[in-house]
Amino acid sequence: MTLAETKKLPSPVGESKTRLDVIEKVTGAAVYTDDIPFGPGLLHARVKRSPHAHAKILKIDYSKAEALPGVKVVVTGEDFPKRIGLYLVDKHIFARDRVRFIGEPVAAVAAINADIAEKALDLIEVEYEPLEAVFDPVYGASPEAPLLHPDMADYDVPNYIFPQAGTNIANHFKIRKGDVERAWEQCAAVVESEFYIPHVQHVPIEPHVAVARWDDDGTLTLWAASQSPFAQRNLIAKSFGVSQSDVRVIAPLVGGGFGCKAGVTMEALPVAIASKVKGRAVKLTLTREEEFFTNFVRQALVIKLKMGCDADGNLVALKNTMYWDGGASTEYGVNITRAGGYNSTGPYFFPNVHTDSLCVYTNHPIGGAYRGFGMSELHTGIEQTIDMLAEKMGIDAVDFRLKNCVKGGDIILTGMTMHPTGLNQCIEKAAKAIEWGKEAKPSSPNKLRGKGIALMWKAPSMPPNAGSSAEVKFSEDGTVTVSLGGQEIGQGAFTVMAQMAAGVLGIPYESVRVRGPLDTRYSPYEWQTVASRLTWSMGNAVVAAAQDARDQLLDLAADHWDEEVEDLDIVNGKVISYKSEQEMSVKDIGIYGLPNENFEGWKGGPIVGRGSFMPTYVTNLDFETGQGDRAVVHYTTGAQAFDIEIDKETGRIEVLKSASAFDVGRAINPELVRAQIEGGFIQGYSSAVYEQMLLKEGAMLNPSFVDYRIATAVDIPIEHHVDIIEVPQDDGPWGARGIGEHPMVPTIAALANAIYDATGLRLEGPPFTAEKLYLAMLDAGLVE
Amino acid sequence: MTIHTITCTVNGESEVVEVPAHWTLLQMLREKLGLTGTKNGCAGGECGACTVMLNGAPVNSCMVLGVECDGATIVTVEGLVKDGQLDPVQAAIVEAGGVQCGFCTPGVLISARSLLDRNPNPTEDEIKEALVGNLCRCTGYVRIIDGIKEAAKLNEPVVIKE
Amino acid sequence: MAREAHPALPEFDYIKPKTLAEASQFLSEHAGESRPLLGGTDIFVRLRDGAWKENKFLVDVKGLDGTDVLTFDEQTGLTVGAAVCMNRLSSFPAVKEHYPLLAEVCDTVAAYQLRNRATVVGNICNASPAGDTVGACLLYGGILNVFNVGGTRQEALNTFFVGPGKSVLKPGDIVTSLQLPIPPKGMIGKYLKLNRNNRGDLAIVGVTAAAYPNQDVPSGVTVRMALASVAPTPLVVSAIEDYFKQEKLTSDTVQTAAQLAMDSCKPIDDVRGTARYRSLMVRNLAKQALTALLEKM
Repeated sequence: MTLAETKKLPSPVGESKTRLDVIEKVTGAAVYTDDIPFGPGLLHARVKRSPHAHAKILKIDYSKAEALPGVKVVVTGEDFPKRIGLYLVDKHIFARDRVRFIGEPVAAVAAINADIAEKALDLIEVEYEPLEAVFDPVYGASPEAPLLHPDMADYDVPNYIFPQAGTNIANHFKIRKGDVERAWEQCAAVVESEFYIPHVQHVPIEPHVAVARWDDDGTLTLWAASQSPFAQRNLIAKSFGVSQSDVRVIAPLVGGGFGCKAGVTMEALPVAIASKVKGRAVKLTLTREEEFFTNFVRQALVIKLKMGCDADGNLVALKNTMYWDGGASTEYGVNITRAGGYNSTGPYFFPNVHTDSLCVYTNHPIGGAYRGFGMSELHTGIEQTIDMLAEKMGIDAVDFRLKNCVKGGDIILTGMTMHPTGLNQCIEKAAKAIEWGKEAKPSSPNKLRGKGIALMWKAPSMPPNAGSSAEVKFSEDGTVTVSLGGQEIGQGAFTVMAQMAAGVLGIPYESVRVRGPLDTRYSPYEWQTVASRLTWSMGNAVVAAAQDARDQLLDLAADHWDEEVEDLDIVNGKVISYKSEQEMSVKDIGIYGLPNENFEGWKGGPIVGRGSFMPTYVTNLDFETGQGDRAVVHYTTGAQAFDIEIDKETGRIEVLKSASAFDVGRAINPELVRAQIEGGFIQGYSSAVYEQMLLKEGAMLNPSFVDYRIATAVDIPIEHHVDIIEVPQDDGPWGARGIGEHPMVPTIAALANAIYDATGLRLEGPPFTAEKLYLAMLDAGLVE
Repeated sequence: MTIHTITCTVNGESEVVEVPAHWTLLQMLREKLGLTGTKNGCAGGECGACTVMLNGAPVNSCMVLGVECDGATIVTVEGLVKDGQLDPVQAAIVEAGGVQCGFCTPGVLISARSLLDRNPNPTEDEIKEALVGNLCRCTGYVRIIDGIKEAAKLNEPVVIKE
Repeated sequence: MAREAHPALPEFDYIKPKTLAEASQFLSEHAGESRPLLGGTDIFVRLRDGAWKENKFLVDVKGLDGTDVLTFDEQTGLTVGAAVCMNRLSSFPAVKEHYPLLAEVCDTVAAYQLRNRATVVGNICNASPAGDTVGACLLYGGILNVFNVGGTRQEALNTFFVGPGKSVLKPGDIVTSLQLPIPPKGMIGKYLKLNRNNRGDLAIVGVTAAAYPNQDVPSGVTVRMALASVAPTPLVVSAIEDYFKQEKLTSDTVQTAAQLAMDSCKPIDDVRGTARYRSLMVRNLAKQALTALLEKM
């Protein structure tokens, strides 16, 4: 047995290591933004918000508020002329000439305590002149609708977003592949459908909170519950006209993000207020109610589909028209529309595709990233329509999917060649788990029973050149600290990064430290913690940094022993030589280097490994056709299935069995992957049966947990079967792809298909509440 | 605004606190006593992130006035560790993977501890029922429930190892 | 409007009187700007939401004479002090034995940690049409003991509710306890609550039904029903009681009675459900509740 064999650790990659942030989280020691003490000098901010969906601001009088003892500053849009935005720069921090949604910030107060700030809000008088509002994206896209952003043509925008001047269409993304109009003639069956997927909220349990302080030297420090400290640094610096390096964003642990803490939402508000009270930290915490109606929402979608296949059941053509309810600002939403467009076939091969994906301004709350980035909404339409077509052809829905789903080598809708994918296996696994094809009788005459399946695909949606970087450093005790800029939002990113670093370096997982807070002054750059991209992109950067450190250690040892690097290895924290069977501990050389013979000088020094990663191969797509070489980096694919019963007396759904199968490339930490799948599935299920922002004339009627219900412990399906498929990604670390968002993407559609199987009914859209189902069954004569 | 001076026992320590009349127990714990493990998720008695033990029973600390706690005994998540050892509910939820973002965790742990105090061998339905008032958006509850099942089997506190 | 909810509670002063008389005196002297405080689970939510802007004082009546009492007497029945929280009530052995329906309804309210503060008397005093515990208290023939510095009195629950959030209580009134007489021999009950979630929610509709042998009616069994969330006040369906004076409880009469329940309610559309669905669910749940009684008999 060789030295290496006796000492080799099993690689931590692929093992379900315990999260490295878990002890602090169960003892109450974990620090979130709201937990940071700022002392008695802290000012508390509250925001005056628009009660109108669309109105001109005629006058703001805040003299009485300013005069209230304890109030330190009142600000309005007058003070902040520059716009801000991630993709389309269309948003003012405070409304200036007009308000565009109920809840839009109009003014703000900072006072010595929240009670005084709250009282001061009532003293601010705002006069409005109501304007005609737009609440329907289809109407909004029409020439009849009033223009909500007459200056849109002047807004800054990247060259892959296509605003249509003179309209409310902030992005028009097209796919033109083949010839759809001629293709209908080849079809043996064609189906048409239309669905509406309503607004929902992210509902992290931690509400948004941010604290800002400007110092007299012109520097800004922002503490925020943030998925995106670097993007916030960049956008805030631009909007306030300062240098990025003068903006320091500190981001402690995040109590749930799901996309709503990406980009810049409310963080710019305390920054703006604090700019008028230099030297004072200003804190703004959203109430749960504000969290519901003032924050980024998941945009509603109207989707119209026409789909056809030939006599053998091969998909031939798809026409997909999507109207995204972008809300009052589409700074982030334009890219969701783009993602909806370049994924618009769902995970299927169609030779002919005609897609129009339209991002439309409305007077609803602002759309932003939400776990899945448009994919839950899109797939809710696509996957039900696939079922409709399969039924029309008399083909089993699983067989139809196996036949038509995207496979490695297919030229997909954008002209990109699909990489190898395990989608076929996902379909088979999910179907098997719910005993697809086996007849299932209702448990009582009062129940209807049905099964349903749906597939998904999703690529990371981001700028083509979104980058990651990392550093690896040693401590005197031989432990390694990995510095990085991607956030721990609950998904386990820090843990997975530690596993990767340990795997490359050859040291135990327990010897790696990854800790927040992220701090743009010291942490290496990361674009944003979004798009399920960290395991893949930040993982590649961490691997590169660990490899760099490893190379330095081996070079040092090779020099010291006068051996070749090829004969050396690092196992279990020791550098070893397979040739001479010498060994030395990494601990002894990671910082102090090594002495030459007889201590005649030294070699080495503190080891710092550096790594970065950025995809270099993503191309833009043609505006007219949506065609290009490679629109995205890769696709994670998967399937979910349900076996359900519906109570004929109440309309309630009871899930008997459910299943998920996703191709993650490689599970770096299988239990964390499962945890993502379980949690994402329940979030999807919750959105499928309970959740909707009830908006009436732009006002949210249910902005609290009392009436915006989410799944609780008593609501979760009893059995959820999870399969992990591993078809490796060529440029992923150990072949890994992301899995954070995907588990909630097919859920609504899979449930809708099961409901159809049980009742023969297709509802316009989720949530599939007991009431909707009961009344639909009643109207269809299924119940009395 | 009247300020009241109250005396209470928090995590075994006797405390004298000056608290404004309209402050909740949640505000008092976080802002007067620096016990930030207890989280504010809704301030409306719905999410359960602020759950603490008040005189031996779990309550939403946002639904109790600080001044009402004169003479009371309070246990927060910070009080679960005893002599450097994790409470079985902490250890079991760690082991089960029932923690993701961690924001609901303190309230979940107090609800779980309270459940096992009054019912050492709960059924799965009883566990779920005990968690109705603790919203979690990350885990889908599965591993939290598994953890509490396991905690019921553990009798001894568990030494923290990190 | 909840959209304007405060970050925490708005300012008020907390008054802890030493006697009921002192409390009542204060409340009547500060009518319109003070409220008695029990568990607070409703008051705090409403204050945070910006309701009752005129409120300046909360008068804590917990612990005052008789408010902490929880006793059972073979002659007079159950006395539930105003400050007795729902968990204490539902786990009280005499409640489990003699008033099982009361224990059942308490356990459907919100969540366990809220029920350590929430009180049945508070639930009644809110006069919400959606109160889960109110129907059972009505069917048990509940009476409230009301203290006022001007004199104590009793208020029967069946004439207590005036409208949504409105009762016969006047400034200075403090409900000290709820009195439930000994239930008729052989009384059985059932509460069915339709939530949006499986539990822990406000009722879309709530149906409380009870039955007991009664030789004074031709059918030999009295059947009563109360409904939540389907009228401006908690509703006792007198048509059901009348119907079952003559008719025996059978699987056939259950159908007719369920229709009577549906016809007697006047629900509205709100964010929790439409009037149409609520009416139909009253029918279906009434049928289920009465069937459950039939099976228990």
